[in-house]
Amino acid sequence: MSIIYILIPIAMLFVTLAVVLFFWAIKSNQFDDLDREGINILFDEDEPHAKLQQHKKTDTQPHAK
Amino acid sequence: MTEQKNCFHCAEPNPKNSHYQVTINGQLQKMCCPGCAAVAQTIVDSGLTSYYTHRSKTAEKMVTLVPDELKQLDYYDLQTIQADFVKQNESVSEVTLIVEGVTCAACSWLIEKQLRFIPGLLFINVNTTLHRAIIKWDNQQLKLSAILKEIQKIGYKAYPFQVNKQEAFYRQQVKSYLRRLGLAGLATMQVMMFAIALYGDFFSVMETEFIHYFRWVSLILATPVLLYSAQPFYINGWRNLRNKTLGMDIPISIALLGAYSASAYATIIGRGEVYFESVSMFTFLLLLGRLLELRARRKAFETSSNLLRLLPSMAILIKDINKPQEQTIIPAKTLQVGQLVLVKAGETVPVDGTIINGASHMEESMLTGEHLPVSKGENDAVFAGSVNSSSPLTIRVEKLAQNSLIADIIHLQDSAQLNKPRIEIVADRVARYFVAALLVIASLTYIGWSLIAPDQAFWITLSVLVATCPCALSLATPTALTCATAQLNKQGILIKQHHVLETLNKIDHMVFDKTGTLSKGNFLLLNTEVYSQYSKQECIDLAAQLERVSEHPIARAFKKQQKKTIALTNIVNLPGQGLQGDYRQQKLKLGHALFCAIDSPIESKELLIYLTLDKQLLASFELGDELRESAPAIIDYCHSRNIKTTLLTGDISLKSEDIASQLHIDKVIKGVTPEGKLRYLQQLQKKDKILMVGDGINDAPVLAGADVSVTLASGSDIAKNSADVILLGEDLSKIQVLNQTAQKTTAIIKENLAWAIGYNLIIVPLAIMGHVPPYIAAIGMSFSSLIVVSNSLRLLK
Repeated sequence: MSIIYILIPIAMLFVTLAVVLFFWAIKSNQFDDLDREGINILFDEDEPHAKLQQHKKTDTQPHAK
Repeated sequence: MTEQKNCFHCAEPNPKNSHYQVTINGQLQKMCCPGCAAVAQTIVDSGLTSYYTHRSKTAEKMVTLVPDELKQLDYYDLQTIQADFVKQNESVSEVTLIVEGVTCAACSWLIEKQLRFIPGLLFINVNTTLHRAIIKWDNQQLKLSAILKEIQKIGYKAYPFQVNKQEAFYRQQVKSYLRRLGLAGLATMQVMMFAIALYGDFFSVMETEFIHYFRWVSLILATPVLLYSAQPFYINGWRNLRNKTLGMDIPISIALLGAYSASAYATIIGRGEVYFESVSMFTFLLLLGRLLELRARRKAFETSSNLLRLLPSMAILIKDINKPQEQTIIPAKTLQVGQLVLVKAGETVPVDGTIINGASHMEESMLTGEHLPVSKGENDAVFAGSVNSSSPLTIRVEKLAQNSLIADIIHLQDSAQLNKPRIEIVADRVARYFVAALLVIASLTYIGWSLIAPDQAFWITLSVLVATCPCALSLATPTALTCATAQLNKQGILIKQHHVLETLNKIDHMVFDKTGTLSKGNFLLLNTEVYSQYSKQECIDLAAQLERVSEHPIARAFKKQQKKTIALTNIVNLPGQGLQGDYRQQKLKLGHALFCAIDSPIESKELLIYLTLDKQLLASFELGDELRESAPAIIDYCHSRNIKTTLLTGDISLKSEDIASQLHIDKVIKGVTPEGKLRYLQQLQKKDKILMVGDGINDAPVLAGADVSVTLASGSDIAKNSADVILLGEDLSKIQVLNQTAQKTTAIIKENLAWAIGYNLIIVPLAIMGHVPPYIAAIGMSFSSLIVVSNSLRLLK
């Protein structure tokens, strides 16, 4: 049973780490918009990317028609 | 492909012969209008069609801005205007925008993607819940107006916006509570784990060595909860003590600190009971309640401040009266006394001044409550905030923007806010008796046990303190208010102040403003009488055609009803009199009796104007301000609940009595200034609790001073700032919903309080007799808190 003298302090270390991570998440505004990030993964970055590059090339001066 | 009935972009019905279409993901999709088609095309061209695949709601219909509105966007580029809302750091500017039309996460993605390709844009983040965007850009390369136009292109409208102080405060508060709650949650979980092991000691014997070890670990884990997480309770409690009032936070602080220090003492000396798990859990539950309450209130503030758009107030400055062509556009706030300003028809007067050239009708209803535009000529005073409705004026600036009439009204509003009657909420009253009873019982227990068994006196008194810990009691009110506020939010009723729901039940007098509140505040053609071979519609068409040139609100009433255009020539607008033009070589006149040479004018309470063709009377039109459809219902509701009603208006016309008698309003006070309104209110407040409903700038002081104040989303910004409740939409019957929810909420609060006090009445005698071990105290406390919370949740249904 004396192993708990080591295990419990380790567990407490993990809790401290969790608290630090949570504070960091709050500080970097990650709780501001909870609807958003869950859906973000659905948008493919790759497929339209080629078109976007092209779009960017033709659009170097964005407001000239 | 089957015929698409609805627009692919905004899902509004397509007109029959609509030919607007765009190829999206290889399929031809129909659109309802060129606006939607242009937006869809831009989205396709930019390779952003995943928007259509993943959106969960359709977009809003695209309304193209007219060139004037687009030009207005350019004003946002001016340094002096930007100073109000743009943060600048060398070449990097940062702004917060409200984006209208954001309906789901796909919208945010679309906007971010589209804007990221503008050269010079450094950072963009669109918040879906708040409908706001934070943008940073390089101001050497890019202009703010260009960013706004780019957002415009994909079908959203963006406006700069200034986070108001109160909202910023709530943001900070929510963040700090979230931190405290997270810490309390994580630590409580650990403490509970060790507590369960310690409870095991009651049933089977544990080695003392481990008991000591677990207690020390619990002490270490509970310390940050008590020192950091529970801080707000101590601070509030201390503040209450200093103000010599007794609030709920005082018994909370006594219980928390008492139980914690006794447990710590027990741990150090190695005997007695420990209550670390109870105090940690207690802190966690209470913080959760507070956080939810704060979030509900923050939501209301955010929605209401999104209603306040920051439009640049610009003025057209003229250097020389003789050369009106030499115009420069400058921000209104930089105007100096004595400068000359041109105000075109349809524009808002930027500053208080005197007319030096021209004559026109001024719409002052927001300032005075008067429903008819006031005719003004040379040397008359005009006020900032009123709208010039008919013809251009040159005015001389008389007062600086910060000394204008509006500024005076705001000043009055601030002082009314300070004198607002203090409202005591039920929870505070209960808390006062509770603290007194708690202290008396605890000291009696200690004295009693000191006589019987001195060595146990301290520990039993401690268990009394823990058992009576007012957890359920202090959750009773906030949880009910939070649920009710969230429910009302969903129905378009924003509650900005929490006392509102309790105070509403005591209201015995409702005071209404007239123009813009009970009535719609715009002109409507009520009645048309014809006197010749011309039909009603022909007369309306003729009148509407004459009114084409005018910006007067009357003109809008006619334009709405126009069916055919008729060729008229030589149309002249004579401000203050009427309009004339040539129709088939005859003189067509539209105006008041004198102008049209009518000898025996018809009597009417409304505004009457005549249409004549070569002195022959064709028609007479009765125009009036229409009542809101929901107005009679709310007055009837007041009568049915024996609430007195008063109409309080700045308008002096007979219209006030007319509306009052139509709606059966008990009393009419008319023709009063903002100061007069406030004085009248304060006089009423001596015996009644007042609910004020108003929307104008002139209502702001009364709204600030009333026990509960309600305004409409269409109201002036100042009114929205000072009201406790904002109704989205135009439906006055929401006041009835509000009142009913308030009754239900108060009933639930009372049930909650009854339960919490009942629980204490049962547990306290047991604790006094020394029959409550720590685990019973913890279970009982969380159980009664859960009952209170679930009872409050019924309000969400």
